Amino acid sequence: MNLVDHILQSTDRLPPFPMVIQRAVQLIEDPRSSAQSLVDILQFDPSITANVLKLCNSAYFGLRRTVSSLREALVMVGFDQLMEIILSQESSMLLQAPCKGYELRQADLWRHSVACALLSRIISKRLNREATLTLFTAALLHDIGKMMLGHFVQDYFGQIKNLTGERKLSFTEAEKEILGIDHAELGGKVAEKWKFPEPIILAIRYHHAPSHASKDREVVELISLCDVVAMITGIGGGADGLAYHGDGELMKRHHLGEKDIEQFIVKLEDRFQLVDETLNTKRGGREDRGLQCPDRG
Amino acid sequence: MEYRVVILLILLSIIPFFQYSIIPLDLAMKIIVGIADMNVSNDPAATIITHALGSCIGVSIYDPAVRVGGLLHFMLPDSTIDPQKALKNPWMFADSGIPLFFKEAYQLGAEKKRLNVKVVGGSQILDDSGFFNIGKRNYMTLRKIFWANNILIRAEEVGGNVNRTLSLELSSGKVWIKTSGDGVREI
Repeated sequence: MNLVDHILQSTDRLPPFPMVIQRAVQLIEDPRSSAQSLVDILQFDPSITANVLKLCNSAYFGLRRTVSSLREALVMVGFDQLMEIILSQESSMLLQAPCKGYELRQADLWRHSVACALLSRIISKRLNREATLTLFTAALLHDIGKMMLGHFVQDYFGQIKNLTGERKLSFTEAEKEILGIDHAELGGKVAEKWKFPEPIILAIRYHHAPSHASKDREVVELISLCDVVAMITGIGGGADGLAYHGDGELMKRHHLGEKDIEQFIVKLEDRFQLVDETLNTKRGGREDRGLQCPDRG
Repeated sequence: MEYRVVILLILLSIIPFFQYSIIPLDLAMKIIVGIADMNVSNDPAATIITHALGSCIGVSIYDPAVRVGGLLHFMLPDSTIDPQKALKNPWMFADSGIPLFFKEAYQLGAEKKRLNVKVVGGSQILDDSGFFNIGKRNYMTLRKIFWANNILIRAEEVGGNVNRTLSLELSSGKVWIKTSGDGVREI
């Protein structure tokens, strides 16, 4: 069996995707869904309800009255915001385990992903686009492949690092050359397996090569820009560092300049601190529930 | 034979107490500096650490005579893009953060002429267009400020495309860099 098959096989042993996020993610793209149907599903999960109420009553929203039920939260903060809270919170279970190979400490990948998700709102607003939940979710889950590829990256780290140094390849290009598959492609395959909506699958799959996406190009490009800006800040950064390509053409096309990047970072810092303090259960706090990099077997 | 078992059992039972007594002490000595943040201290038992230096720059200053030192972790070169933000958090920008950071050290007795200054970070995304070169501009702005204030850099590791962790040991003034994949080394 070659290495790629071995890597793909390792994803078979993944724990099932948390049902709540899976339903929530499918709901986002389903025009027939209603906010009420989401609340109906979620209200039976006491930990989600508790976390939503905690956040709604925190300084982040600064609401004047106390929110005491999910239904009330829906009215007070709106459907999109409520979904964002739930997605950010629940994804922490998926993304918070330390990840070998990329040398990510506890919660690092989650912090990087939340930074990307917040940037998806910030950058959409700057481009006068709607900050959709599809974008938010794609940004939050774009690096899910790292969780599965980590072990293999660890085994071949020296060779991958050499290619990024000597031949100036990006980390994804080096992964592809040494392992036969990179974390974006693997993440895309996992997202397919989990039956995510297509734009989210494509955004995960092509977030380091947006020009290769056959459709939903806007979503894919925006996620790739969010990722680059988040990497520049260093929030939740790992062993792959900043060894990825920035797309200057994309910047030109959207009439964005270097000062815009700085503005994005200032705005991100404002929001990130609040979200990190409010949502992040202390490092190590929920370790046992996290998704671990699966063993190679 | 039996007394050996008893000794072994006693040893096993006291190991957890050692663990509990060592771990909190160890944590107490580490001061973590977040992103867009700084810390200055004269506690000889402390080590100041900052993680996740991507395009951001970490500045370490240390006065060996009074054993006062600190780390600054700034994100962006120029506070004119958001002066309000700079008032709220001056450590975010080079131009607002660096002068205040040095003043904090002076207040604890450090003197400029004795300061050992080291600079780390300023990494870059792979990009020829120049849109994403915040690391480079962070470093240029820092150099300008240092030049205007007659501050010499004793050691530096700037650029590339890696994330770095920087730490300063206040008892000795030793400065360490950890780069992913390359382990820890002194600069």
